[in-house]
Amino acid sequence: MSHELSITVMSGVDDGSLLKCSAENGDGHRTEDGLWVFNIGRHDSNDICLNNDTFISRMHARIFWNDAHWWVEDCESTNGTFIETPDEDRPVKEAVPVAAGQLFRIGRTWLRIEPDGSEE
Amino acid sequence: MTIDLKDILISARQESHRMQHFYIGVEHLFIALLEIPGGIARSILQEHGLTPEYVIDGVRQKIGKGSKRRIWSGTPSTPRANVILAIANEIAMDEGRTDINERDLLTAIFEEGENMPVRVLTRLGLDISSIVHEAQYRSVERVVSQPYVDIIYASEFDDSSLTDEHKVILRRMFYGYDGIRIENYLTGGYTKALVLVVTPLNDDGREDAAVVVKIDDTDEILDEAQRYEQHVKGTLPPLTARLEDKPVAPEICALAGVKYTIVTKPDKKPQDLGSAIAELGVDKLGYWLRQQLYTQFGKTWWQQRRTFRFQVWTEYDWILPPVLTMQYVPEGETSSGGQTLRVPVNRSKLKQIESGDVVTLENFTVQRVYPDQNAIQLAIGRGNEATRRAYKILLTGIDLDKDFHYRGEVIDHIVGRVRKTRHDSLMNAAMLLDLPFDLNAETIVVNGLKQRTLPNPILAYEELLHLHLSGSTSKIHGDLHLGNILVGPGDSPFLIDFAHSRDGHTIFDWATLETSLLSDWIMKQAGNDWEAAYQVLDYVAALNAQTTFPRNNPELTLAFTPLIAIRSIVQESLAVEGAWEEYYISLALSALRGIVWETKSLGGRRLLFLVAALAIQEAQKYIAEPGEMDTPMPDERDATEYQ
Repeated sequence: MSHELSITVMSGVDDGSLLKCSAENGDGHRTEDGLWVFNIGRHDSNDICLNNDTFISRMHARIFWNDAHWWVEDCESTNGTFIETPDEDRPVKEAVPVAAGQLFRIGRTWLRIEPDGSEE
Repeated sequence: MTIDLKDILISARQESHRMQHFYIGVEHLFIALLEIPGGIARSILQEHGLTPEYVIDGVRQKIGKGSKRRIWSGTPSTPRANVILAIANEIAMDEGRTDINERDLLTAIFEEGENMPVRVLTRLGLDISSIVHEAQYRSVERVVSQPYVDIIYASEFDDSSLTDEHKVILRRMFYGYDGIRIENYLTGGYTKALVLVVTPLNDDGREDAAVVVKIDDTDEILDEAQRYEQHVKGTLPPLTARLEDKPVAPEICALAGVKYTIVTKPDKKPQDLGSAIAELGVDKLGYWLRQQLYTQFGKTWWQQRRTFRFQVWTEYDWILPPVLTMQYVPEGETSSGGQTLRVPVNRSKLKQIESGDVVTLENFTVQRVYPDQNAIQLAIGRGNEATRRAYKILLTGIDLDKDFHYRGEVIDHIVGRVRKTRHDSLMNAAMLLDLPFDLNAETIVVNGLKQRTLPNPILAYEELLHLHLSGSTSKIHGDLHLGNILVGPGDSPFLIDFAHSRDGHTIFDWATLETSLLSDWIMKQAGNDWEAAYQVLDYVAALNAQTTFPRNNPELTLAFTPLIAIRSIVQESLAVEGAWEEYYISLALSALRGIVWETKSLGGRRLLFLVAALAIQEAQKYIAEPGEMDTPMPDERDATEYQ
């Protein structure tokens, strides 16, 4: 069970910044099914707030740790969430597992989950 | 001499502005490096068979265009760009310099290794660890000399369609040889590519084995090479044409070339099937198609089929003329109202659009940019290879210097006035055929051996695109016409031109080949007049009905034997036994696309018009049952036995 998340911004004006959030700092919340979830979007109330990309929705996506993986799920955002695969950038509909180091995109911003903090 | 950072930054800022980014990131620095004429970055890419423009569009696609609204002032640098500039600075200092130059910056970008340009290059197949070295040690030569390779022609070769640009590419491709002899053209197909058989000549007079050279627009060639690497290479039978080396894409040309090598006996030049039929013997061609072509490639291609239920347009819309040809209307000049067409496309909405209408397009993707024509081609841009090219729209009259667009860009909003619909394009093409029927009538009457009343294909094809079809998908060639099939030593089959190879509707290849045989070969012998087309149509009708051919023309009966072989392959490939509508729909649309190709003979186009009509009628026989094909899946029967 991981309650710490480190994300590197991989494109846009914040390219190269490292964003961290953890339960200890009061980030994230527990859902009914017992998962610890971090919200990501343009609104200040998100655990990870990215307000330099207007293609990101106010409440854009959620990230949670389950079954030894990080998962990304789109929250009906306007421009969608995409995950990079060897062949194409695939739209995320339901929650999909994201490996540490694998890129995913919300709005115009590419992001990457860092391996540290995701292990127990 | 290398360029300094100051100039690179100016150019990076311009790129940032074009993309509406308003910050300086690694992507802008990298693109600025690629824009230096004769620069190190350009020359490295070229050595690896890529053009700067192709890579630049790849980077732009990955990052996407920003919003017009600025939400910060100035032009800040990104944290990663700052890291890279710091690395570059260290490299410069190590060499006792105070100023960062082109080479330092490029090396730093490669060394940092996590930035988007590097990720894009890796995806294009480049090994970054090896090109870092090239960046460090490559000498900068601003003058690229034109290699001298003598070009001579085989005696019967007509060089009138070879331009200077073609010759530049040929010289570059055969750099190191004393000369080349161009033997013959191979028949072109869907693309306007130039395909030649070329024999390389050594300085001691020795000749190397002839190769096939294809020259086309740079983007097309580079896409083809990418596709070959990813999808084709591993699936070829041991003895066949292979794409050799990297493509050659000289900086000064809008064209590029690739070579296909073929193992042939030195005395035997590769021939396309169109010209080889005589040698092979018409009577043997059917057997050859089945036993050689289908058997050799089938194992990894057409026979590896998976069932696939799809809506016809997703596989076939792209082969038809653009749904709309439009004139760009600049922002501010649009009156309110008008229609909106957005992705995903609502077909009934599209149907209402007529020429003269002002239409707002939303979320279409740029497929091609034509800088010298101030035009862009759009399509829906999502889904599989065929689907993403569907709903092609040509938009002309854009000032591309002012309104910047790049390949792969998703344009959220653009307005144009319709000049021509697809219906108009097909009508115009049909008019050139000098039809003896009324093009506005629902049906046409054809007087062959017997009188046939057929649906007018131009009015009837649209309905086919909406149907849901049970078919199968496999790896397909994607453009299997006579010119792309070569006959090699021992009569073995060779395929070239993988620009459209993909996972797609299995029998599309056979419909394409049948269309090509009918229009390019049979009509070549039958002639151009309508009487000849009617006569051939009688044979097609007999083929469809699987009855004996009419007795009036024994030569035509012989010429149809390869078509019987194709139909037997199709029969095996149908997803549902005996459900021939799968093939007739494919054939109808393949034939319909042929009528707009002016490179085909008049007789060929006339016949294809009739074949499309007949195939639509055949398909309609099967789809008379309403309901079945209106939905993605037939209604499922609930087999649960309730107590």
